[in-house]
Amino acid sequence: MNPSLLLFGLLGLPLASFLLWSCFWLLGFTWPEKIIGRTVKVVYGLMFLLFLTLCLQVYQNPQHAIEIRVGDWFQLNHYEYPLAFQLDYITMPFAGLTILLSGIVASFSVTYLHRDPGFLRFFLLLLLFSFGALLVFTASSLDLLIGGWELVGITSVLLIAFFQYRPEPVKNALKVFATYRLADLCILVAVFLAHQWYGSAEWSRFREIASHQDGHEIPATMFSLIAVLLVLAASGKSSQGPFCGWLARAMEGPTPSSAIFYGAISVHAGPYLLLRAAPVIHQSLTATILLFFIGSTTAVLATMIQRSCSDAKTSLAYASQTQLGIIFCEIALGWHTLALIHVVGHATVRAMQFLRSPSMLSDYHRQHSGAGGVLQATGKHYDALLPVKWQRKLYCFAMFRGFHEALWERILWRPLYALIRLLVKIERAPSRHPMKPNPSPPPSIVVAE
Amino acid sequence: MTTFFLLPLPYLSLGLLALLFGAVFCSPRFPSFNRRRIALVVLGFSLVMFVLALLKIQVRSVTAESDPWLPCFSTDAIDGLPLVVFLFVAILAVCLAPRRDIRDRCLSGIFLLVTGTTCIYASNHLWVVNLGWWLTCVPFVGAFFGRTEDHKQTSIALIVSAILLTLSTIFLHASHWSNVANISQWSLFFLVMTVILRKGIFPFHSWTLRSFESGPLLPKALLFNSHLGALLVARAQSSGMSVLDHPSLEWLSILALVTALVTSLRGLIEKKPRRLMAFVCISQASFILSGLLATNAEGVMGGMLHWMVVTLASTALIGIVRILEVRVIDVADPTVPLGLAVRAPRLAVFFLISGLALVGLPGTMGYCAEDLLFHGVQDHHSVMGVALLLATAINAINLMRLYSVLFLGVLPKNVIEVPDALPRERWPLTALMMILIVGGLYPRWPIALRHDAVKSIPLRVNDLPHHEDGLH
Repeated sequence: MNPSLLLFGLLGLPLASFLLWSCFWLLGFTWPEKIIGRTVKVVYGLMFLLFLTLCLQVYQNPQHAIEIRVGDWFQLNHYEYPLAFQLDYITMPFAGLTILLSGIVASFSVTYLHRDPGFLRFFLLLLLFSFGALLVFTASSLDLLIGGWELVGITSVLLIAFFQYRPEPVKNALKVFATYRLADLCILVAVFLAHQWYGSAEWSRFREIASHQDGHEIPATMFSLIAVLLVLAASGKSSQGPFCGWLARAMEGPTPSSAIFYGAISVHAGPYLLLRAAPVIHQSLTATILLFFIGSTTAVLATMIQRSCSDAKTSLAYASQTQLGIIFCEIALGWHTLALIHVVGHATVRAMQFLRSPSMLSDYHRQHSGAGGVLQATGKHYDALLPVKWQRKLYCFAMFRGFHEALWERILWRPLYALIRLLVKIERAPSRHPMKPNPSPPPSIVVAE
Repeated sequence: MTTFFLLPLPYLSLGLLALLFGAVFCSPRFPSFNRRRIALVVLGFSLVMFVLALLKIQVRSVTAESDPWLPCFSTDAIDGLPLVVFLFVAILAVCLAPRRDIRDRCLSGIFLLVTGTTCIYASNHLWVVNLGWWLTCVPFVGAFFGRTEDHKQTSIALIVSAILLTLSTIFLHASHWSNVANISQWSLFFLVMTVILRKGIFPFHSWTLRSFESGPLLPKALLFNSHLGALLVARAQSSGMSVLDHPSLEWLSILALVTALVTSLRGLIEKKPRRLMAFVCISQASFILSGLLATNAEGVMGGMLHWMVVTLASTALIGIVRILEVRVIDVADPTVPLGLAVRAPRLAVFFLISGLALVGLPGTMGYCAEDLLFHGVQDHHSVMGVALLLATAINAINLMRLYSVLFLGVLPKNVIEVPDALPRERWPLTALMMILIVGGLYPRWPIALRHDAVKSIPLRVNDLPHHEDGLH
């Protein structure tokens, strides 16, 4: 079977399901939970079959990689937005994880979200996320990758605010969105610079330039700038380095979404970007050092914070961050295969841990009763090797999340708000006459026409 | 079918006449059962006429086609599509407007505004443009949309811009009427000032903000989305006035960028929905000028597409906020998030999609518009490109804040029953979403529609092999 057809089936199934359901719902149609649940399971089942066939085709190919070029999505003058995909040893594990784990999470959520008012909303967002993630992992250019990247971001934010009737998830979703947008700026600037300097943002072009195959002397600063921007973008998606504060906030969403986004797929989009951009990153010493620094510092900080957390999901979030930091270090050191294996292992285990977290207490009791009584804690931890004074200091440091947010407040938000206040003064438009409410409606309920 | 388009019928004249009739018949002096229905029929008729005029030039493959009855009106590549889009949003505005917003002289005011704007778009004569410009001031000066005090700043800004345009026309007439490329310094100065004032460019953006603050919102949406400043710039460029020959146009581009940044930053501390929405809309609308003045095909095409996206998406946003305002009083100045998504989930989805399309969500027309625009502007000037990216990122944050204030959070106890989108709101909003999404999934279609318009604007010739400008 034609691989391009298979790939379009793989990408088209979640997108078409999302668009169809959304349109019908907008026009006033609704369905019972049973139909929604079964349809989603069928969609993921079909996607998995298509993926297996595609895997076979990639394996049978002599280069173990397939390039699919459909043409340009749009083109103007010499600017092209290529609609090109690539399936190789990096894409297939990530795509496989996405389909398999999304399917498992969908199946789990049918029961978990039973009778929840946001039942359909959750599945619509899950389908859109699957499409976005598959687009990220199969795109053969940064242009197309951004499309999926932003879809993954927006679905993530909407799922954090899933329980919209509580104020905390709403507040945290906004903060996560702001962090995402700041980090996404880096990847957007990198794409535009790549187009401006190299005429294309395709991975093959990056590889060519990195190996100097095209005979051009590329100034090192240009390379470094793009590589650093990509490292920062990946850090944003994986909650590393300067962006390490958002992952714990994202735990406000329902558990299945935490499993698929922050345990399994979404946070691993960062390492995927790094693995793809590895030829560019390794050409720049600055970017490589920065990557290692970000990964190692986040891993140390997150493991400390994780030990001071009192709830299961936040603890798992910081544990994820630690592993992601280690994966970043592996990529910086050039151990790409190890990083890939680490990603697959971590995503699977962490998704399972997240899905089990609501029944953790029950598991605990079952474990103890299975052992025939209460198991005694050993009390042996490496932390005990440190002097007590240091233990306390580190505990405080961890309790305040490494003073990360205070630092952001001081470096970014305060100067920014000072600037905005200055703008307000210049504008002289802070309502001199406060806006009057509309005259007619009665104070409470208003059903208009 | 093709021969039908080629018939020498006066489509533009008929469309304009219908609008004038609409202004008269929808006035309170003509009692009627359902003014909204009459207005929709009239606007629908005009829309069909303008679509036919647009198809006529496309079938004939000509750059412009004058109207057989009134030769001072013509359809060309630049104005054809924006005119159709403007009429479509006018229909949308009338559909979405709550009853209290189409009472008394409001509908007549909307018709006068639409007629004036249509005159400006369709005219090929500067004095007729002036006439249309003055006509757009009438509903605000004449208090068609409520008390005069509410529209004081708007009226002043509109009148001053009309005076400046008239002055520019007089100076142009006195010097080189035939060739805009040799425009006198004074004429150019007045023209640039007209654009700055009408478009609400920094430091004259506060009148646009004030106009959003009080009274019915949908006429303001039509005023805002006429984008007459952008039209003037596109017209001036298509007449041979290039940014390269006239550095003041470069300054206009920089000011547009400053507006985008300043208004996006200002929005960060704003809490009232109307003002926050105004900041987002002003900021995003100022991208259009940056794109049009980028002197390369990508930038100009991006600007042209963004023009359409801003028109469609901001009308939907403004309409939804107004719908919510008349249903829940707390929307005017909410102290806590209102959580209206529970009662009005469809309005929440319409709001989210149109808002995200405005700031360039992938899969919507806004994405390809911004992609082309940023490439063009970055190619023209790297720092400007990065600044625009920053502005759009902040706008997205502002938009999500607005969404969360209106739709997320705990539903106030006094709000018991709020209807979701009514059929007259749901269908036009769905149509609008479809345009934004289909245009985003198949961007070749809107690009092809604006191809001739971009071709009519002079572009920089760059000899770098992969940046050679000009369209194929």
